[in-house]
Amino acid sequence: MFLYIAKRIVLFVPTFLMVSLVAFGLSQCSPGDPVDRLLINSENDINWENKKQYERDYRYKARDLGVDRPPFYLSLLPRAYPDTLQQIVPPDRRRAMRKLLDQYGNWDAVHQYMETYDGFMAHFSQLPDSLGKDDLINLQRHFLHLEHIYKVAAIQYEWEEIGKDLEKNPELEQQIATELLELKAAYANLQSTARPSDLMIPSIRVNGLDNQYHNWLVAFLKGDFGVSLQNGQPAGQKIKDALWWTVVLSLLSMFFTFLIAIPLGVYSANRYGQWFDRITSAGLFMLYSLPTFWIATMLVMFFTTSQFGEWANIFPSVGLGNMTASDPFWPRFWQRLTHLILPVFCLTYGGLAFMARQMRGSTLDVKRQDFIRTAWAKGLSPHQVHWRHNFRNAVFPLITMMAGILPAAITGSVVIELIFNIPGMGLLVLDSILAKDWPVVYIILMLTAVMTILGNLMADILYTWADPRVKFDL
Amino acid sequence: MLFRKQKREQRLQQQMDERPKSPDYWKQVWRQYRKNRVAIWALRILSFLAVIALFADFLANDKPIYCQLEGQAHWPVFRNYLVDAGVGKWPEGMSNFDWKEAQYESVVWPLIPYADNNLDMGNSYKSPFDPQKVKAPRFRHRLGTDSLGRDVAAGMIRGTRVALVIGLLSMAVAAFIGILLGALAGYYGDRHLQVSRVRVLLNLLALPLAYFYAVEVRSYVLEESSNFYTQLLISLGWAMGILLLANLLATLLKRLPWLGRKWTMPVDILVMRLIEVMNSIPGLMLLLAILVIIPRPNVFSVMVIIGLISWTGIARFIRGEILRIRALEYIEAARAMGYNNWRIIWRHVIPNALGPVLITLAFGIAGAILLEAFLSFLGQGAGSAQVTWGRLLSLARNSPGAWWLAVFPGLAIFVTVSIFNFIGEGLTDAIDPRRG
Repeated sequence: MFLYIAKRIVLFVPTFLMVSLVAFGLSQCSPGDPVDRLLINSENDINWENKKQYERDYRYKARDLGVDRPPFYLSLLPRAYPDTLQQIVPPDRRRAMRKLLDQYGNWDAVHQYMETYDGFMAHFSQLPDSLGKDDLINLQRHFLHLEHIYKVAAIQYEWEEIGKDLEKNPELEQQIATELLELKAAYANLQSTARPSDLMIPSIRVNGLDNQYHNWLVAFLKGDFGVSLQNGQPAGQKIKDALWWTVVLSLLSMFFTFLIAIPLGVYSANRYGQWFDRITSAGLFMLYSLPTFWIATMLVMFFTTSQFGEWANIFPSVGLGNMTASDPFWPRFWQRLTHLILPVFCLTYGGLAFMARQMRGSTLDVKRQDFIRTAWAKGLSPHQVHWRHNFRNAVFPLITMMAGILPAAITGSVVIELIFNIPGMGLLVLDSILAKDWPVVYIILMLTAVMTILGNLMADILYTWADPRVKFDL
Repeated sequence: MLFRKQKREQRLQQQMDERPKSPDYWKQVWRQYRKNRVAIWALRILSFLAVIALFADFLANDKPIYCQLEGQAHWPVFRNYLVDAGVGKWPEGMSNFDWKEAQYESVVWPLIPYADNNLDMGNSYKSPFDPQKVKAPRFRHRLGTDSLGRDVAAGMIRGTRVALVIGLLSMAVAAFIGILLGALAGYYGDRHLQVSRVRVLLNLLALPLAYFYAVEVRSYVLEESSNFYTQLLISLGWAMGILLLANLLATLLKRLPWLGRKWTMPVDILVMRLIEVMNSIPGLMLLLAILVIIPRPNVFSVMVIIGLISWTGIARFIRGEILRIRALEYIEAARAMGYNNWRIIWRHVIPNALGPVLITLAFGIAGAILLEAFLSFLGQGAGSAQVTWGRLLSLARNSPGAWWLAVFPGLAIFVTVSIFNFIGEGLTDAIDPRRG
């Protein structure tokens, strides 16, 4: 037994690594820059004055999050790519440089172009206001934009605009003419020294252990879950807060599911073919096909407002009520309870239909076995036959369903929590994915994987308890 | 000599082809299925829905099907097809014609004289029973309208098409992957797939290269092109080409002594691990995460992604069936006749394992339709331009009084999902008569 569990855990390691790779890969494919989101001054509102400050903040934060490292142990990149691309700030400039590189394949020329640009901007920022303040501001906007664009047409257009503005102010043009020529020459040089063949040749870089994936995985195993990109809150804390409501919902709905489904399934199996069985079977099947999000929407629409008459306003509106932790316990408890009735109902009916059908099926299977006939022949009471002999051997679907509780408690029910506005895991998952808050998404993905495997293991152990004939082959 | 041998093989092949397909089997399944009245009704409703989906343009359209205008007969709905296909043109002054306001000598309107995206600002949020500002009872919004005055009935008819297409095509994708992987795992197990060393090595080399040339080299084009999906297909073509090239090379090189030695591939373990990985990631979460990443998701991308995440059940089913079938005598006979593995798998094993897969497919279609409806309900998925049942239902969440926005689309989802469930149930009883 212990050997079996140990083997299962060893087998889980590759699965776990694959899940972590999927999670990590998803976050790498995602557009948008994680560091920029955490900074107070986002990239959109930087100007010439706070540019240096922004860059410093960015570098600091990037080191803090570890995203200035290469992403993986190895990288397979075109030969034209430098190793240091990841460290260029700000992100828009990095993006522009990468795209220029993708077009021309010559990193030295790209680098030189940006250096010339920096030199030009340093000169430009020294110009006195007496040259025409409005013109300077206008030109500065154009030049700042030049840093972020990479398409030939867009750059040409920007040059033309700059040329038009300079025509109006010859004095200013004289001041920057040489530097401007240099900048244009650097761009022309970039185009003329293009080496597209370098883009077609693969090269493998070995990045060592200090990479984003490794650091993240090690941190995860140590229990350090990182911070949410939405507000910088620790991801672990966010999950802990959300977990409470999901667990409450899951446990309540599980309890009612089992409470109703088991007797119903057994009872209708023992009346196989009679009208009770037919009606419950059909009813359960319909219930099983009813989309939860439809029923939940309808319940909220019809029974939580007085829109359709005062009598229909039976349940409180969505959410968990307005009482806080400082309110007395019992009224708060009561309010929460009334708010949970509809969500728990919606969570229960689907599982109930499934469970009862399973229960009926497995009870029927067992009912035809010889030992049941023997039990009847021995003269046992119907109660004893149904529950001690028949039910005991028909609990496999119950166990399988129990295995699903653990992962379900982590992911929660997106539908129910969204419609009833309950701040549980389902809502957290949805929010985090839509906001591309990858640190939180990964943690939930990884925890779900761990829970799925634990649930399956638990189910396997329970199978041996339910039926001692079940043996595990090593 | 050689000629005669070929001829004999041909004859044998013919006999094999005729024998194991066993029309009796499907006939018997159909006979069993027909006994189930509910399942038969489910099939009937399904064909009704299919007719609605096929003829959606003739059932809900803002143009008449036939009309007579100033002595001339027009067939606007048909002409619209021609114009969309690029072979026809609207007559002079008719491309932006207001068909509703015209004075016709005679006219045949579709059942619902609105298209799903027609705005009728004078009639926003009208329930089916509210007084509506329409010029004739013929133009009432029978199932009400949403906040922009779009006709709910027209949206429901258009949504039928989307739902059925999503259900069928996403399961086609899932069935393709599932049957392929499940068959490989079940037929070869861990011990029977032997591959030459050179093929393994070349494939290991070609995979990163395929990734490199399809993704890294083309990243600029993929990100900047206005037509992402075309470029994606070209990238896939590159990757396929590289892999194909590697395998051709392997076929040539495997004659060499060291390179030609065989290695045994543990296909079963690999496929089962993959299934375990897929199963430990919650599908909805993966789906949402992928949809957030890809630019401008549309119906087809949703379909493909649903297919990509829901093949595991089919693969497991077919693996189990094949494990059973592989031990049967006729497979041994086929092998004794010298048929190659692919032929045995495709012609003799899979056709006999298809029954149970049909059951999973029926339930899978129900699941896919439900999933897509839920995605649209969340405002993700098919995109805002596409009317789906889920999106109509999501409108109800923002407008609490509009019961008709919740009841009708939800009912449509419910009916469609349940008929596929009933069909699956009927198939289960028909194929496996031990149960029920």
